[in-house]
Amino acid sequence: MEKVIEVEELLKRYKNVVAVNGISFDVYRGEIFSLVGPNAAGKTTTVEILECLRTPTSGSATVLGFDVTTNEDAIKRRIGVMPQDFNTFERLTVTENVELIARIYNVKPDIEQVLRELGVWEARDRRFEALSGGMKRRVGISMALVSDPELLFLDEPTTGLDPQARRETWEVIRRLKKMGKTVVLTSHYMEEVEALSDRAAVIVQGTIIAKDTVDVLISQYGGGFKVNVANGDKRIEELFTQLAETVISHEKGVTGTFQTRQEASKALASVYQLGDQYTVDITEPSMDDVFSQLAGGRVDERGELV
Amino acid sequence: MKRVYAIFSALLKSWLRSKTGIFFSFLFPVMLLIIFSTVFGGGGSSQYVLFVQNFDVQDDAPTNLSTAFIGALEATDTFDIRHLDTTVDIKTYVRENPSFSFRYRVLQIPHGFEEKSLSKSMSVRIDVVMDTLTIMEQQYAAYMEEADLQQVEKGKALLTRLEGTLPTEPPVILLVTDEQDMAAPALTGIIYGVANSFSNNLIGTEDIVTITGEPLEQRTLKVADYFLPGFIAAFIMTNGIIGATSTISEYRRDGQVKRMAATPLPKISWILGNILQQTVLAFILTGVMIILGWVIFGVRLIPNVYALLLILTGAVAFCSVGMVLGGVIKDVEAANGAGNAIAFPMMFLSGAFWPIEQMPDYLQIVAKFLPLHYFHDGLLQIMVYKNPGQSLTGFVVLGTFAVVFILVALKVTKWKEL
Repeated sequence: MEKVIEVEELLKRYKNVVAVNGISFDVYRGEIFSLVGPNAAGKTTTVEILECLRTPTSGSATVLGFDVTTNEDAIKRRIGVMPQDFNTFERLTVTENVELIARIYNVKPDIEQVLRELGVWEARDRRFEALSGGMKRRVGISMALVSDPELLFLDEPTTGLDPQARRETWEVIRRLKKMGKTVVLTSHYMEEVEALSDRAAVIVQGTIIAKDTVDVLISQYGGGFKVNVANGDKRIEELFTQLAETVISHEKGVTGTFQTRQEASKALASVYQLGDQYTVDITEPSMDDVFSQLAGGRVDERGELV
Repeated sequence: MKRVYAIFSALLKSWLRSKTGIFFSFLFPVMLLIIFSTVFGGGGSSQYVLFVQNFDVQDDAPTNLSTAFIGALEATDTFDIRHLDTTVDIKTYVRENPSFSFRYRVLQIPHGFEEKSLSKSMSVRIDVVMDTLTIMEQQYAAYMEEADLQQVEKGKALLTRLEGTLPTEPPVILLVTDEQDMAAPALTGIIYGVANSFSNNLIGTEDIVTITGEPLEQRTLKVADYFLPGFIAAFIMTNGIIGATSTISEYRRDGQVKRMAATPLPKISWILGNILQQTVLAFILTGVMIILGWVIFGVRLIPNVYALLLILTGAVAFCSVGMVLGGVIKDVEAANGAGNAIAFPMMFLSGAFWPIEQMPDYLQIVAKFLPLHYFHDGLLQIMVYKNPGQSLTGFVVLGTFAVVFILVALKVTKWKEL
């Protein structure tokens, strides 16, 4: 697979603070790659270095084959960016804002098509200040997309949005992948990363502590599938002892942990063979569990590590 | 250039859609024009209050000569004469009757003013006759008979004897003024002039040198016309330094600058686009100010091509200063404060609203270091005195400012964080 971003030992230091501590990762063409972690983990600093908005202290980074320290213009012409806390000229309409970016890139795109694809065509004549949070982000993505870039950087694209708007934005991001774009995403929402990403890097305190496909991360660090039998008894406990990796008996019943979905399904079938008096539920491992396992804590709604 | 225009048109559209922004942009210069034109050129009296205590009284009535002197002061149209009883102690009166609308100035005409004036004038007349006779003896003795010369000598002896009998003390008028009274030196000069002319009349001579008045500008200009160049210059300066500083720091806070920096837009295009927008804004508002001046105050000045060029240079120069401040100061409130802290003192110290000759010497030196001084002076030379040659300094100073500050803005505007 073709690499569109190559990062080697990238380090960014501000006086006494190390924001990015010698990280390395690659991004492949056509994938959605996520940098996931709590606030101040170094996600934005990393993407802003790749967007040529910050200078690295040491290490190397190339974007689409161009060095970020020496080929800023070539990179900026080929990428699309939606910065963190995205904002634009509030009293200009959606169309005017998108047209402005097109004029800066000196391109003449089919703006109607861009706006229709992102679902903001109906709001084209409304001022940016009058839009909802979700619509504003979609306008931001339209502006990033107007130059038809190969690679898009979306920095915290759904932060602060309500669940409905967040899911609508996810659909837009999935559409970008279908359009053949490579997307680099930063987020502190584990659910979002899991829902959208092909691959992800978990970053905490400027260091990448794990990176791989989302499936591999979950299978390696997610802690397995948990089958909980609410009214489990000795028979269930004996069954799980034979089938599960770990078995825990507690007040709410018996919980067995299984490495794969197939093993969990097999255990579930075995429980029902013992009788239909049992109440069973399965908890699938998630990126939340991965992060918890790797970082020793969870990230709350505001992005803080708790 | 296309990108500069793209930024310029986006910024201008954005400004034109801000109702409150437009309102306050217009309000400020219009308020200044109204206030200053009303205060300095309105229908108010331009006379100065002068209290007079006339101690020269005979038979309970002021003497003719003291009355005539007061009449001569009134005839200048400079003074609003108010008579004060001679029993009043000035210091007590001032303390008990404080005034915020005028400064106390009290003229005391001493007792014996008429008598001393007449005897002094007689003494002066005798001196003049004596002088004339002596010169006649020296220069024309060869043409005179001996008997005539003796008659002249007799006459001189008689005049000398007569002069010896006259009181020699001159009448002295006392003028009491407030130390803080800025107008006192000028008013003292006027009173001195009246006294001098009065003295000449007493000895029967005429004022040899006379003064006649004529307006400096042959065209009929109104007070607002003279203020207009200062207003235009001050307004463009505040618009640039306060307006541009505030706008740029807000764009930076709100993320527009980062959004632009993430595109291939060169930093210089962003800077020039902003300066162009602020400059066009300055032109629009200047036009509006002149139209309002024309409608409300009957202003007759119309900027010619030189004035427009100087306005353009000034707008670019001061917007560049705003770009630098907005680029250096990260906090919006601090940037606004800095803009105000620079613009307002400059507005009042540069002499845009009053001649710098009225300011203390050290402030006059300060004014010479302020670019606004050269801006309004240049506009005054072009628009009022029709003397564009005298505005060259303004062009040079503002042009240099513009180039230097655009270069500094290019340096301090962060397109990339280190």
